Amino acid sequence: MPAYHSIFLEDRDVPVIGNFPVLPLRTRTRGPAYTLPPLPPNADIEVPADSESYDCVDEILSLFRANVLFRNFEINGPADRMLIYGTLFITECLGKVKPTMAARDAEKALINVALDHFAIPGDVAFPLNQAFEPPRDRQDAETLRSYLSQVRQEIAIRLHARLYPGGVGPSKWWLSFTKRKFMGKSF
Amino acid sequence: MASQTPAVVMDNGTGYSKLGFAGNDSPSFVFPTAIATKAGAGSAAGSAPGRPPVANKPSFLAGGGGGGGASSHLSTKRGTEDLDYFIGDEALAAANGPGYAINYPIRHGQIENWDHMERFWSNSIFKYLRVEPEDHYFLLTEPPLNPPENRENTAEIMFESFNCAGLYIAVQAVLALAASWTSSKVTDRSLTGTVIDSGDGVTHVIPVAEGYVIGSSIKSIPIAGRDITYFVQSLLRDRGEPDSSLKTAEKVKEEYCYVCPDIVKEFARYDREPDRFLKHTVTAPNGRSVSIDVGYERFLAPEIFFNPEIYSSDFLTPLPNVVDGVIQSSPIDVRRGLYKNIVLSGGSTLYKDFGRRLQRDIRHLVDARIRASEARSGGARSGGLDVAVVTHKRQRHGPWFGGSLLGQTPEFRSYCHTKAEYDEIGPSIVRRFALLGGPGSA
Repeated sequence: MPAYHSIFLEDRDVPVIGNFPVLPLRTRTRGPAYTLPPLPPNADIEVPADSESYDCVDEILSLFRANVLFRNFEINGPADRMLIYGTLFITECLGKVKPTMAARDAEKALINVALDHFAIPGDVAFPLNQAFEPPRDRQDAETLRSYLSQVRQEIAIRLHARLYPGGVGPSKWWLSFTKRKFMGKSF
Repeated sequence: MASQTPAVVMDNGTGYSKLGFAGNDSPSFVFPTAIATKAGAGSAAGSAPGRPPVANKPSFLAGGGGGGGASSHLSTKRGTEDLDYFIGDEALAAANGPGYAINYPIRHGQIENWDHMERFWSNSIFKYLRVEPEDHYFLLTEPPLNPPENRENTAEIMFESFNCAGLYIAVQAVLALAASWTSSKVTDRSLTGTVIDSGDGVTHVIPVAEGYVIGSSIKSIPIAGRDITYFVQSLLRDRGEPDSSLKTAEKVKEEYCYVCPDIVKEFARYDREPDRFLKHTVTAPNGRSVSIDVGYERFLAPEIFFNPEIYSSDFLTPLPNVVDGVIQSSPIDVRRGLYKNIVLSGGSTLYKDFGRRLQRDIRHLVDARIRASEARSGGARSGGLDVAVVTHKRQRHGPWFGGSLLGQTPEFRSYCHTKAEYDEIGPSIVRRFALLGGPGSA
């Protein structure tokens, strides 16, 4: 049984930039993503996959601990590229959280990583250019950048909730995956 | 018949030797196949002339780079130093002190150092089992594909050095099949099946048809108990646990690990049920004890059989695919029997639900192939193929227990070669044994 693939591969009419999918997000940050309905208050941190609010960030976070162990991953479609991007970004985030950090400091550090200048597919600094196509023109590149920024912020926020369950942490169960490199790559 | 002595069953493996008497349900002794000899004698004699006391080694053994010649001084200098040795756990203890060097006479399942092995057997018989070999029949085991010359050497030692009454040498995989007869799921007591033997160093998948090993289809996998221990250790280290020694990792592996159906679901389950995280207390020799957390390694460690990719970068084929490949490469008329009776043996198959997961994964592979060929044939329906993995209570010492089971049958002695027959014909007599427990026997 190889690494896990995205269930969003089944969604056919997902818009793409280059070959990166613009999947709907459940987010409050502004951007080009189609916004899914928010969760009901005091919902579980783990959203069931059949919920209408379930988005690719939920999937990335739930598959992370399994997929990050794998060195090989076959890309079956655009949605898998989102999975790769998110998995590598979580690894980057985990690298910023030190075992001694308080919840508040870690939150700041994570938001900084998410908002920092980052490479998008097509940039020279982007490590996965063999598998990711560059956007067609400047305008597409701008849209992709702001979409990725939404994704990064959403991952950072939800990862923080998992790292500090009930405000205590960081959870060493998550930090133990810091050194693993999905597909042997990292940002 | 009441005066008949029980047969001695000895299963000498690479890691551990299992010794006991036929008819018992567990071996009387289990200890490492290790011998500690006086360090000087072994190392100085590397290039000395003269043959070890066991004569007539086949030439390929003598040329094997110090295998047979390592202690050849002994033939010239029959003093007391060749009696000064320890085996098993005592050997490990002695090797920690000065003056003794530890040797492992069996490598990859086969005997490499016959002089050490002879002394190992000598101690096993006289010091541990405390039997008179003249009064007992012996059942020894050998790995699949053991060269017949090795059997002859074994017979020489057994008959000429120990003068044992009778000898039978059985293939471990066949005995493992016999051991599975204790499972309630096994009804027909056939000697056809696929044996998955996973010990400490290597995992073998061995197809057996009617008691005969299909040598050309055997596959071995470089992932076994030791690798699981290393993987547990690396997980403990990544988490920065206060104690991550190999010994602790081994304890964690043995006490807490199990096989899960799906790792993503299992991770989510640990999030929901925090009591699945456990604590393990390690007591150091100085009396101080540390507590370490045990978490994901509980199900991730045995997962390397099913997803070797997460542990190794050079071996990537999951165990279910290897088993399927082995059966597919066997003769077509036995494949059904091989799928129907997949038997587990060895310490690394003891994880909870190991058999269940293996059965499910193999069944998926088989069903997918059947569906594909049904589609290609355009309308033909397959009757399906039965895949069954047999888990039973004697897995840990499977080959030994199978030997015990067969060694206690009344007809066992008629399958053995006796001392008289050996004297008549010579060592070549042990090249062939009638099939014990096969068709025709009760």
